[in-house]
Formats: sequence, structure tokens, C-alpha cells
Amino acid sequence: MKNKNIILLIILLHSVITSFKIDPLKEFRITGFAQGTNYHITYYASEYKISKEHTDSILQSLDSSLSIYKPYSIISQFNLSEKGIQIDTHLQNVIKRSLEIYKTSKGISDITVYPLMQLWGFGTKSSDKDPSTADIQNTLLCIGSNKIHLKKNYLSKDKPCTKIDVNGIAQGYSVDIVAGYFDKMGIENYIVEIGGEIKVRGKNQSTNKNFRIGIESPSENAADKPIINKILQIESGAVTTSGNYRKFHESNGKKISHLMDPKTGYPFQNEMISVTVWAKDAITADGYDNALMGMDITKSFQFLKKHKELEAYFIYHDKNGAIKDTATNGFTRLMLPKK
Amino acid sequence: MKPTSISRRGFVKSGSVFLAALSVGPSFAYSQKIEENIRVGIIGTGSRGCGLASIIKDMPGTQILACCDILPNNLKEGMSYAAKGAKSYSDYRQLLDDKNIDAVIIATPLFLHYPMSLAAWQAGKHVYLEKSLSYDIPQTIDITNKVKNSSLVFQIGYQYRYYGLYHKVKDIIQKNWLGKVTHFECQYNRNSNWRNPVSDPKLERIINWRMYREYCGGPLSELCAHEIDMVNYLTASHPLKAVAMGNINYWKDGRDTYDSIQAIYEYPGGIQASFNSILSNAFNGYNIKIMGDKATVEILRDKAYIYAENTDTQKGIVDGVTGATIATRTQGKAVELNFKKQGEEDVDPTLFALTDFFSCIREKRKPVSNVETAMETSIAIHMGNAAADTGTQQIWKPEFSF
Repeated sequence: MKNKNIILLIILLHSVITSFKIDPLKEFRITGFAQGTNYHITYYASEYKISKEHTDSILQSLDSSLSIYKPYSIISQFNLSEKGIQIDTHLQNVIKRSLEIYKTSKGISDITVYPLMQLWGFGTKSSDKDPSTADIQNTLLCIGSNKIHLKKNYLSKDKPCTKIDVNGIAQGYSVDIVAGYFDKMGIENYIVEIGGEIKVRGKNQSTNKNFRIGIESPSENAADKPIINKILQIESGAVTTSGNYRKFHESNGKKISHLMDPKTGYPFQNEMISVTVWAKDAITADGYDNALMGMDITKSFQFLKKHKELEAYFIYHDKNGAIKDTATNGFTRLMLPKK
Repeated sequence: MKPTSISRRGFVKSGSVFLAALSVGPSFAYSQKIEENIRVGIIGTGSRGCGLASIIKDMPGTQILACCDILPNNLKEGMSYAAKGAKSYSDYRQLLDDKNIDAVIIATPLFLHYPMSLAAWQAGKHVYLEKSLSYDIPQTIDITNKVKNSSLVFQIGYQYRYYGLYHKVKDIIQKNWLGKVTHFECQYNRNSNWRNPVSDPKLERIINWRMYREYCGGPLSELCAHEIDMVNYLTASHPLKAVAMGNINYWKDGRDTYDSIQAIYEYPGGIQASFNSILSNAFNGYNIKIMGDKATVEILRDKAYIYAENTDTQKGIVDGVTGATIATRTQGKAVELNFKKQGEEDVDPTLFALTDFFSCIREKRKPVSNVETAMETSIAIHMGNAAADTGTQQIWKPEFSF
């Protein structure tokens, strides 16, 4: 009998020990194509938990809601509608946040600029033609987030010609949704990146250091490799960038940016080249990076003084046309010192 | 015989004729300014000659006043594009003696290019000579030496030098969109015997001159010539070396020009360019790939696509990169290259080439596709054929450079 008890005890002890033993975390990478761009995910887990199919499925459902490039998407249906339609939770979340940012940025960031984007050839159809002043004035009558209203799940508009484009914030939102799925699956170390918008949690388990994020500098042309001359090391949160160096077209030798000033109807004309924003979540960072692109450096810093939840890094042209950069103190603390 | 100057005719100069024609396309806004027509004779009114005649016929300020061909049917067809009272000839020398002709278009088999264009130049005519320039290297050097400093216009029919598509490709190469360019892969393939129907067996060699080395250089001089000219244009250079292999491995029908040739040229900076022409498979037909370490450009007849290389910067230094949204750069994804100006219609680049020809006559300018550019292309063609014929590498000799 005694022997039997000893054997049982050994078995019990063994199972207790093995159940406490931590499996080493392995690295898994998922890359793919979504929302007209590439995505890259790295996560660490003891076993393969999330597949590319899972991720693609989430991203496709977001596309079906938020993509102006999909004629069947909910946003496309809203744009085609006369007065408005019922919208899904994804679009509601994005609209709510966009309207907040519209208010705090005093109208600089405005999702109703879509007709202007189309007029300038940056919508779903490209054009190298500069619009006429009359066309711009007519289009401006459709612009303004005060012309759309969200009541519960119904998004209405005052004018049929008012159309929205949430591309400036949808990627950040998508990053949050994908990251949220990783959280739900119990994954504590990951980096999710969609088209240059990033959210991280935990550490790179191979180096046991915080995740390192390179900030792209404008390269000479769209087909060029990005140049990385600044590296961030962040514990958590999201980093997104808005820039006018990649998406533009040339008109009479002049670069026309895709970022539209909802007040004038013309592309923003300021010194900004790109703005990189850190925030707790990607929808916040992505929502504000465009707004900051529409301000100048001085106004941006005034704005950031009031918004401590944001840190930012700017690349801009100085008065002589030279390329310079600057950052908030909080952002500088995230940067690795230059070797 | 020394060429005579054109000044006996009072052409009105119009400074921006060529540019205006390029930007407005075929509308010829300058037509009112021209006091006198340029009187044109067409030597060789086969399919290409008639194609050129059909364009010239509608160009203001020009008049086709003579045609010449040894085949009566061709001559009849050519005359249908000519002006009232135009003369027809079966001997090109008689056409050259015609004092009423200012400029000639020569669209004959390659072996006739040298004697005909030389005689035309000596007769004081402006010359638009179909590609390629000449039948062999000595002819190439001789004609170049003679006409390169002439006051007469001597243009070669490499019309792609006038095509916005290639201008745009050159522009993006200069802007480094492709990164370091190391290779050109060019092909001009067909799946046909490349023959024209012959009504009388006696005419076989005259009609199907492309089948015989006695008359031309085969696919390299008749098909790949345009692509070689374009690689010369895009690299602003000429090949330094050539190796090639040629064969008749499909159309064993009595021809002695290759029905399959693969030539590889080395350009300055170690750039390698291959030119392939086969007559038994037409997949991708006319196709040029320009390969750089950042992207590839693929040129079709009237379109071009860019394929970016994968540029994965994530390895090593960083875990991720933040930047303005990058339009997908998945390897293999085609992005069409937009080369047309706003509202520009599709225009046969031959129209631009002919517009340049007549403008050069009026303005006493050197054409864009001139004897010196064509000379480099011709020598490259001859080097390629010689490499295939002899199985030895051919070197660009110092005496080929002017």
C-alpha cells in the first residue's frame, strides 16, 4: 500500500510540475495584402494560434464596411445614398472618432473631403487634371462633417452629394481590431502593422527588448525603398504616420498632395512632409496624424500641448527648402540615440 | 555631286512647329504659316511605303508628287495616296532626277537602303529612310561619314524615338525608379512564316526578301532593330560586345535568314541586353523588360507596366516600419505607367517621326532619329548577326565611333 501511495504521489507531483512548466515562446509571422497595401504581423506564442486566414477574414470584414474601393461596402452604399443608411458597428466606431477629431482639430481633419479627393484625382479614379475654380467652389458646398449625423446606427446626410472617405483613420482602426483579436487569444507579445500603421504589445522575444520601429523618411520617388534614419523603441501603444511624399501627382512640374484642405478645396500648402504620431491606440494616432499634417509646425506644437495623449515627430521643409525634423519631448524619449 | 542647299525654296520658319505638333497631336495648327508644300517622292510603295504615304497624304504642307516601285501593283497602290498630276516611276534614279521633288521616303528592302539613300542625298534630296540604315558595316560607316554634317535632312525611320512611352521610361530611369538597371530583355516574336503571298514564283525573292540574307539581316535587322535602337536610346550608349546564336529550326522552307536568333549585348557599365526573335511562338510578341534592383518596367506595344521589387526593410534592424501608406509593392503586381499627356489620343508615333522630318526640312534642323543614332543601331545589328554567323564574340571597334 505504501509503495502505491508513493507512486501516486510521484505521478501527482510530476503532473503539477509539468503543468507549471512554461513552454518557450516561438515566433510566428503573418504577411499579406489588405486595404490596398501590405500588412505584417509578428507574434510570439507557445504554439501556432492565429493563422493568415483568421487575419485575412478580419481584414476583409473591415473592408466590406470601410473601403471606398469596394462598391458593395457599407461606406460606398452610404456615399451613393440620397439621405443616409443604417451602418454597422465598424463604420459607427470610425465615424464617432472621426467626428471627435473633426471638432478638436477645428475642422482641419474632415472625412467629408471625399468629393474633393475625387475632383483632384485621388479618389477611386485617378486624373492628372487640375480642377477649375468653379468646380472646386461647387464641390465645397458638399463638404463639412457638420452635414452628416450619426443617430444610433443611422448615418444621415443633409446633401446627397456629401460623401465620406475614412482612409485616413481606417487603417489605424483595423490595426486596433486585429490587435484586439490577438489580445483576446491571449497573445501578449506582438507587433501588428498595416500599411505603415503599427501597434505593439510586449517584447520581441528573440531579443527580449521592446519592439523597434523604424520611421521612414521620404525617398526620392514612390518606387524607392524607404530610408530609415530614426528608430523608436516602444513598450506599448501605436505609431502611425501620415505623409504627402508618397501619394501625389505632378501638375506643371508641381507636386499636388493628396491631403485636402476642407476649407479651401485645395491641397494643403504647408511645410509638412510627414507626421508620425504615438498614442495608446492606433485609431487615435492615425486619426490625428492627418490633422497635424494640415497644421503648420507652430500650430501643431500648440495643439499637442493640449493633447498630452499624443506624441509626435515631424519631417518638414524649412524656409530655405531644406528637409528638417523635430519632435515633442515625449516622442524624443522613445527614440533610440543615434549611433 | 555635292548636295545643294535647300535655301532656294522659301520655307517659312516656325520656331516651335515640332513642339506644337507634339503637344497638339495631329491637328497641325501651324498649317497656315506654310507658304509652299514640301514635295515628296516615295521610293518603294510596298506595305510600309504605302503606310507612310497614307500618313503624309493628310499632313498639311506636304504633297506626294511621285512614287516609284518595280512592282506595278505596289506602284498603283502608292499612287492612290499621291497628289493630282503626280508621276510614277519604276526606276528610282529617274525619280531622283525629278527637280520637282524635295524629299524622298525610302521604304525598300534593306540591301537597297545604302545605294538609294546615298544617291538621293547626292541628288540634293532630303531623305527619310526606313530602318535599318544599311546592309553591312562598311556601308554604315561610309554613309554616316558622308551625310552626318550635311545641310540636308537625313532621318531614319526609328519612330519609337518619337514615342512618349519611351520618353517616360527614360525619365523614370533617370529618376531612379528602377534603381540600378542591369538587364534589358527584349523579344520580338511571331508565330508565322513571315511570308507574303507570291503571285508569280519569279517574284519570290523580290516579295519575300526578308527570307534571304542577300537582301537583309533577317529578324535582327527587320524586327529587333527597333528594340536595339530603344536600348541605345534609353542607355544613351551603344553595345560594346555581342554574342549570339541563330538558327533555322522551324521554317525549313528555303529561307536562309534565321527564324530564331538570340543575341546578347554588353553595354557600358556591364549592362546586359538580350534581343530574341523567334518565328514559331508569339507569346508576349513584342516585349521589353528593363530590370533594376528596385523595379522592372515591362514595355508592350503601346503600354508599359512597373513591377516593384519586394523591399522588406523589416529584417534585422527593426521589427516594423511606420510611414505614409505604401501602395502595394507585392512582387509581380503590375502598375501601369501613365505616359500620355492629358487628353492625348493614341497617335501612331510614325506621325510624330514624319512631323519631325518635315519640320527639320523647314527649320534646317537635325532630326531626333538621325544618321548617327541609326549608325550605332545598325552596327549593333551587324555585330549580332556576325556573332551568330561565326560563333564568335564581336567587339565594338574604335573606328565605329564617330
